[in-house]
Amino acid sequence: MIFAAPWVLVALAVLPALWWLLRVTPPAPRVQDFPAIRLLIGLRPREETAARTPLWLLLMRVLAAGLLIVGLAGPVLDAAGALVGTGPLVLVVDDGWAAAPDWAARIAAADAALDRAERAGRSAALLTTARSGQDAAPTLSPVMPIADLRPRLAALHPLPWPPDHAAAAQALRGVSGTVVYIADGVAAAGDEAFHTALAAIGSVTEIAPAAPTAPMLLQPRAEADRLVARVAMLPEPVATDLAVLAQSGDGRTLARATAHAAQGATEAEMPIVLPPELRNRLTRLVLEGPASAGATLLLDEGFRRRPVGLVTAEAGADTPLVGSLYYLERALAPFTELRRADLHTLLQREIAVIVLADRPLAPSEIPELQKWVQNGGLLLRFAGPRSADTTDDLGQPANPDPLMPERLLAEDRQLGGALSWSQPAKLSAFPANSPFVGLTVPAEVTVNRQVLAEPSAQLADHTWARLQDGTPLVTEASRGAGRIVLFHVTANADWSNLPLSGLFPDMLRRLVALSAGVSAAPDAAPLSPAETLDGFGVLGPPPPAAAGLPAADFAKTAVSPQHPPGLYGPQAGRRALNLSSAMGKLDAAAPVPNAARQDLAGGVHERAIGAWLVAAGLALLAFDLLIALRLRGLLRPAAAAAMLLLVAALPAHAQLPSPPWRAALETRLAYVVSDDPAIDDISRAGLLGLATYVNARTAAHLADPAGVRPGTDDLSFYPLLYWPITPGQVPSGAAITAMNAFMRDGGIILIDSRGDQAALRTAAAGLAIPPLTPLTTEHVLSRAFYLLSQYPGRTDGDTVWVQRQGDRSNDDVSPVVIGSHDWAAAWAIDSAGRNTVAIDGSPRQRTLAYRFGVNLVIYALTGNYKGDQVHVPHILERLGQ
Amino acid sequence: MKPTPARSGQAVLRAEALGSALPPLLVAAERVASTVAQGVHGRRRVGQGDSFWQFRPYQAGDAPGRIDWRQSAKSPRTYVRETEWEAAQTVHLWRDGSASMHWRSGAAMPEKVERAELLLLAAASLLLRGGERVRLLGQRTGGSMTAIAAALATDGPGSGVPPVSALPAHSRLVLIGDFLQPLDDIRHVIAQMAAIPVRGHLLQILDPAEALLPYSGRVRFRGVEADGDMLVPQVEGIRDAYAEALAAQQAGLAALCRAAGWGFATHRTDAPPASALLSLYTALAGIV
Repeated sequence: MIFAAPWVLVALAVLPALWWLLRVTPPAPRVQDFPAIRLLIGLRPREETAARTPLWLLLMRVLAAGLLIVGLAGPVLDAAGALVGTGPLVLVVDDGWAAAPDWAARIAAADAALDRAERAGRSAALLTTARSGQDAAPTLSPVMPIADLRPRLAALHPLPWPPDHAAAAQALRGVSGTVVYIADGVAAAGDEAFHTALAAIGSVTEIAPAAPTAPMLLQPRAEADRLVARVAMLPEPVATDLAVLAQSGDGRTLARATAHAAQGATEAEMPIVLPPELRNRLTRLVLEGPASAGATLLLDEGFRRRPVGLVTAEAGADTPLVGSLYYLERALAPFTELRRADLHTLLQREIAVIVLADRPLAPSEIPELQKWVQNGGLLLRFAGPRSADTTDDLGQPANPDPLMPERLLAEDRQLGGALSWSQPAKLSAFPANSPFVGLTVPAEVTVNRQVLAEPSAQLADHTWARLQDGTPLVTEASRGAGRIVLFHVTANADWSNLPLSGLFPDMLRRLVALSAGVSAAPDAAPLSPAETLDGFGVLGPPPPAAAGLPAADFAKTAVSPQHPPGLYGPQAGRRALNLSSAMGKLDAAAPVPNAARQDLAGGVHERAIGAWLVAAGLALLAFDLLIALRLRGLLRPAAAAAMLLLVAALPAHAQLPSPPWRAALETRLAYVVSDDPAIDDISRAGLLGLATYVNARTAAHLADPAGVRPGTDDLSFYPLLYWPITPGQVPSGAAITAMNAFMRDGGIILIDSRGDQAALRTAAAGLAIPPLTPLTTEHVLSRAFYLLSQYPGRTDGDTVWVQRQGDRSNDDVSPVVIGSHDWAAAWAIDSAGRNTVAIDGSPRQRTLAYRFGVNLVIYALTGNYKGDQVHVPHILERLGQ
Repeated sequence: MKPTPARSGQAVLRAEALGSALPPLLVAAERVASTVAQGVHGRRRVGQGDSFWQFRPYQAGDAPGRIDWRQSAKSPRTYVRETEWEAAQTVHLWRDGSASMHWRSGAAMPEKVERAELLLLAAASLLLRGGERVRLLGQRTGGSMTAIAAALATDGPGSGVPPVSALPAHSRLVLIGDFLQPLDDIRHVIAQMAAIPVRGHLLQILDPAEALLPYSGRVRFRGVEADGDMLVPQVEGIRDAYAEALAAQQAGLAALCRAAGWGFATHRTDAPPASALLSLYTALAGIV
């Protein structure tokens, strides 16, 4: 423990004097008016007691004084000692992606360094090593007092790209002082020059995690029935369990996969097993644990879109039940984007799988198709009478088809039949190396006829399915990045009843999942950044320096301020650039030579306890005051107890804004309190304006509106809840539960996206919103008070959505009204009753906005009471005739 | 507290309610004061009154309305009906209004003066219902409840001892106060009153705190009538001595009253006022 102001401790010498003074001074007597004083005067007490301060009170007072003195001296517990070196403190902080997981600890370490510099009366300068969002090179801040530097430190946040140590070394040139370097522990280019520059400044203290791991998700590998998430990291100090979450676009986690990383492991793989339908909804993988740009991997269309091309063959391929493509089309259509064209047309566009159903290839087609397979295409072929015929027109053995997995024997094999003793063959279980493994083989699947592969040593390894007698049924061969798969039977029911079984679509599903994904926009036009990750792996608007990137360069572009990790391109064809896209293996950074090393986690946090001691001393003195009052008779025990209770109850009471039951005394509208006071003011003023309007024109009487926090406040007192959506608003689970209960129990929520549809989607993700339909004049809400055909607010023109009619559970009253017209702004009035916000339209629009509000209030209060109004024309018609 | 008509009216109501439990009070009087007021004490001679005394022949100058026609019809002479002279006993009431009476030991207690005024008004109510005349000591006017209550409300603080004023002989006197003054002062007053002669009754009202001295520890006692203060280091140590001093004061008062033939009683404000009123009633009615 050290003292910030040790000279204050001199005052402790006064304590004995205080002791003596308190001891000789008796406590002040209590004063009592007494009419019978005349009888008292002259009375002598039988014994004289010492009019001295009691010992315990004396001790308490001296203790209080001592606490005050020691507290004012500024004691600091666990102080890290004085700062070494001379000159100003040069604080160098790595703020690249690898610093994000333990960012709080880094800021705390930097703060501690500033604390020590402040105690030593030194000034400091700050350097962050990553390039800024404006793509500015790292620059050293001017040397400034510690107090001025703290806001800068607090404003720092990690950036989603690696630090630029070469530029940082430039920035440190010609500086002298004492260096505290908070390192991220990952090797970067220019480390040597940077370390030299650090050492040139003066004494260096390097604060780094003892064993940085910096996990980074690599591009996942697509396999037949699974997506394998891969993690690269610095060698793990101890064996750990890693987990990756596969999330869909609405933020829900669809799967969680785990892996065990042994000690020293630098890579781990986690298979994510999901049906293709769900797999196609994945938009990101997130590593469980501290958030960072490295622990977030965005998936683009390439992981989802797998167009399948059916090569149109001869006429009659579509004939129901017998055509060669009839079963294929029905098996593939539910889960793929199916294209039908001739081979040349199919190859014009990106395509993942091409299916050839017993269609021999013309020699002119072969090079084109070979090139496509080499580049990663999956060619799926089915045998048939024409494939089995390996002789040319002249009866001579033809050149073997190069796009067959293996050479086929000239004759096909027939099993069963009128002239054969053999029985149709059944399938055996799928071998372990097959993508079909795990699928159950139905007993009724039989094969009558098949083509046979030429036996070879590798044939068994390339067989994915075989008959019970061991004959291959599905074989494959790799060609470059692509693959050829052959079914030794036809794609129709001629040779086997496999296409009739449920196994067939499952097998095709696995095969399509095996294929490489296809991204749109294959041309060289640059894709502009749409949303980018920040250092913590949260999508947001791109930084100022972000520039477009040609689609072809995605695989080889390292992330930087110009190309931050994130999603690029138009909404329809997003491409993802990830931190790991062009990053090789991760290496641990070498320590700075001659630097004192300090563990980031091990550094004890120093605690200044002076304020607490002073507070304790003051509390004791306050207690002493109570005792003195008691001794003087100015405080009765009941009053003292009440006072103590009051003091104890005050903070608890302060947490309650108002008693919850108060809201039940009058009908009032409510709005959801957001993080933004300006929005809350508008909401409040808007509902106040609406309530005033409603009170003036209808029999309803509404009190002042209330601001509520769903999940904290009881919503059951309010008929209508106005919820303005603010960007980035994510309601808590409790809030979602409360609002769902509110809607279920008959409340109405007016959700106002105020034009921000993306925020609306985020904020309302968890709400149980029923099927919606646009609000029309047929709806009760359009007729509840005024007859309305438009529902403007500050803005106009968007559709307003209500629950689809026909749900009798809640009397057909829509629990939610969703729109984007910023109604509260149109309704808002100030205390003098004047409208405060200008509207985008004529004054008539504001009147209509109020009328919509009146209808909404009446609708919330009366439900479907005005439902008959909808039928008035019909009723009148009947009455009139 | 400011005297207001509302407050005095309330005091009257409370006093009437308190006195309603007792029958009208007829003061036991050996000799009714020779005042001219009509009352209940027959003087065995002709005078103003309701009771029949005698018939006498009509003489010239008699008011024709006084002729008793029934009696006159029995004989040729005309008779006049004479009634007995009935006079009322006058009771003078006084309560100590000094600062020491405006004191109470706790919020739950009434002030001593409140209790004194309540008892005074209740006694006045009983007396008035009995047909006696009631006056505040030192006041010439008054006689009704409202007048007495108003006079109480506007009365100045006064000193702790009753003023020696010219009282009709043989009237009765009720003195209510705390009587903590030196005995000599009180003796002087009683002696002068008794010499008129007036018979009186002394009611000492004390707060329980004055009776018991319930304080403890180091206390600075301060008089309420600028009679100095006293620092007591340990109140417990003088409690017994105080009790003795108070007993001596009360014994002295009792002796003074006995010597003058007066009654003496004490009352504590934590006791119900009805008990004090009953003792006052019995003392005035001469039942005991």
